[in-house]
Amino acid sequence: MVGRRAVLQALGVVLATSGSVAGDAPLRVASLNLTADELLVEMLPPERLVAVTRWADDADMSNVAGRVPATAVRLPRADLERLIALRPDLVVVSEYTDADFLRLLEKSGLRHHRMGGLETLPGIRAAIVDLGRAVGAPEAAARLAARFDAVLAELARRVEGEPRPRVLYWGDPHTAGAGTAIGSLVEGAGATNVGRELGLRGIVPLAGEKAFAADPDVFLVVKGSGAATALRRHPLLSRTRAVREGRVVEIPNHLLVALSDRAADAAWWLASRLHPARVPEPAPPPRLP
Amino acid sequence: MSERDRRRLAFAALAIALPVAVLAALTLGSVPLPAGGVLRSTVARFGLGGPSPLPEMGEVILWSVRLPRVLIAALVGGGLAVVGAALQSLFRNPLADAGLLGVGPGAALGAVLAVNLGWAQQRFLAMPLAACAGALLALLLIYVIAHAGGRPTLSGLLLTGLAVSALAAAATSVLLVAVEEYRVRTVLFWLAGGLEGRGYEHLGLAAGFVLPGVVALLLLARPLDVLSLGEEEAAALSLPVHGFRILVFGLCAVVAGPVTAVAGAVPFVGLVAPHALRAVVGPLGRHLLPASFLAGAALVVVADLAARSFGQYVELPLGSVTAFVGAPYFLLALRGQEGRG
Repeated sequence: MVGRRAVLQALGVVLATSGSVAGDAPLRVASLNLTADELLVEMLPPERLVAVTRWADDADMSNVAGRVPATAVRLPRADLERLIALRPDLVVVSEYTDADFLRLLEKSGLRHHRMGGLETLPGIRAAIVDLGRAVGAPEAAARLAARFDAVLAELARRVEGEPRPRVLYWGDPHTAGAGTAIGSLVEGAGATNVGRELGLRGIVPLAGEKAFAADPDVFLVVKGSGAATALRRHPLLSRTRAVREGRVVEIPNHLLVALSDRAADAAWWLASRLHPARVPEPAPPPRLP
Repeated sequence: MSERDRRRLAFAALAIALPVAVLAALTLGSVPLPAGGVLRSTVARFGLGGPSPLPEMGEVILWSVRLPRVLIAALVGGGLAVVGAALQSLFRNPLADAGLLGVGPGAALGAVLAVNLGWAQQRFLAMPLAACAGALLALLLIYVIAHAGGRPTLSGLLLTGLAVSALAAAATSVLLVAVEEYRVRTVLFWLAGGLEGRGYEHLGLAAGFVLPGVVALLLLARPLDVLSLGEEEAAALSLPVHGFRILVFGLCAVVAGPVTAVAGAVPFVGLVAPHALRAVVGPLGRHLLPASFLAGAALVVVADLAARSFGQYVELPLGSVTAFVGAPYFLLALRGQEGRG
């Protein structure tokens, strides 16, 4: 470890561009989840990112597709043996990683940082800052958090005073209740989450009859998932006001699953569909930090 | 060749096959390790020979990741095969295996509950412990219900097991529908069988039940042979038939429950290994049970090696690999038997 650090420092690698690395900060970071992939691409110089998930290059899933350093190994799965061979100083795992897998990581001498709290926009912001601290890039994380705040603040300013449409996420037959990133996305875009109104929590199945009775103003579905077509063909849901009047918003998958700083961009995109008069642009203006 | 020679040859072949399978499984994987290096590292661990020639990374992979996994695979395979052989003797039916015990659905219910409540993500060993508890609770329930109306017959015990299994499977389905999308993957991997992420603690958990259970079943091999003569003959030879059956049934469940808890569903091992060996070592339990242990262990070690070697994006489920091999073999064997019959 010491040798590698010395070599990197002697080469004068790009560390200077992202601020200095604190004494015990990890030099080699591996990611085992897409959110970390997206954040680490923004935070770290290429040579410090040793592995990302295979999803990082998938434009349908990832918000950094095409921008991941070629030097980073693409891990097709959480393969512990390959991870050990890469000798990362830190492995970034997700909230859903099994405790048993984490124990095996530790026993193999690998440190890990677990991301969590990604089910709310404030939680995502906190996770960005935490990750920056863990990988020794607090300034880069602060920059991402500042832009995140600015985008959401500008969005809130624009939709202030607007009626909040009632939006029901429809994953045929799942919906998003309270305590979900999708619910937070809907609320962050200046709308009311019908799943929360119904008293639901988490991503849970919702009976068609209940969805019909809820009578949402807008259905939110994933673009290309077939959910929009399924709605239009559904014997009951096709008769809701939202479907009859064509208020079915198809959100690109990479925005719906964005749990990184790009969650603010996702909220902006959704707001541009729900409040087009106030938010005409599909992406935040470049003048924001 | 006499039957005795054939049996000796079979045991010799199995005694070679298992260490070869273990060595192959220790050397092959995402990061190949040289077989010589693995052997010398093993010798070095016992303080013999020189230092290990493997680099530090290789040492970590070998001792922290692969060895516990391979040992668990051997334990799982050996345990399931012995349980299959014992149940086949008990029921005098070559189609009997651990699936009859009802512990699988109980273990599945425990595992899904642990995932659903978030324990699997937060607490080490929560999932296998919950699965183990589910399996043993199912066993207890079967025993209590079956004995509620007096001394149960074997078919009564089996039917009770079937009903408890159906209840556990129904409850599992309810929980699966309600489980968070992100967590479904964890559950599916467990249900399909697999050893990814298993370490020494899992080995300890399984070994604590499986080894004593297997040893006890091996010790009961002779009475099992007596029972296979028929109930009346066994009773005439002073074997307490009912109590003995309950004991064997319980021991099988004590082995199969923890095996399922650490590895998920690994089908066909308990059917194929004893079935293939019966023709070679004979039907007597004292030969069939130990041979089945060795064959089952080698089979699952190789199946697990295949599971982690062939899947590019995900590990193949271990249960699918054993089913892909076991089901065609079993169909062929059945057709062969029907042809002879």
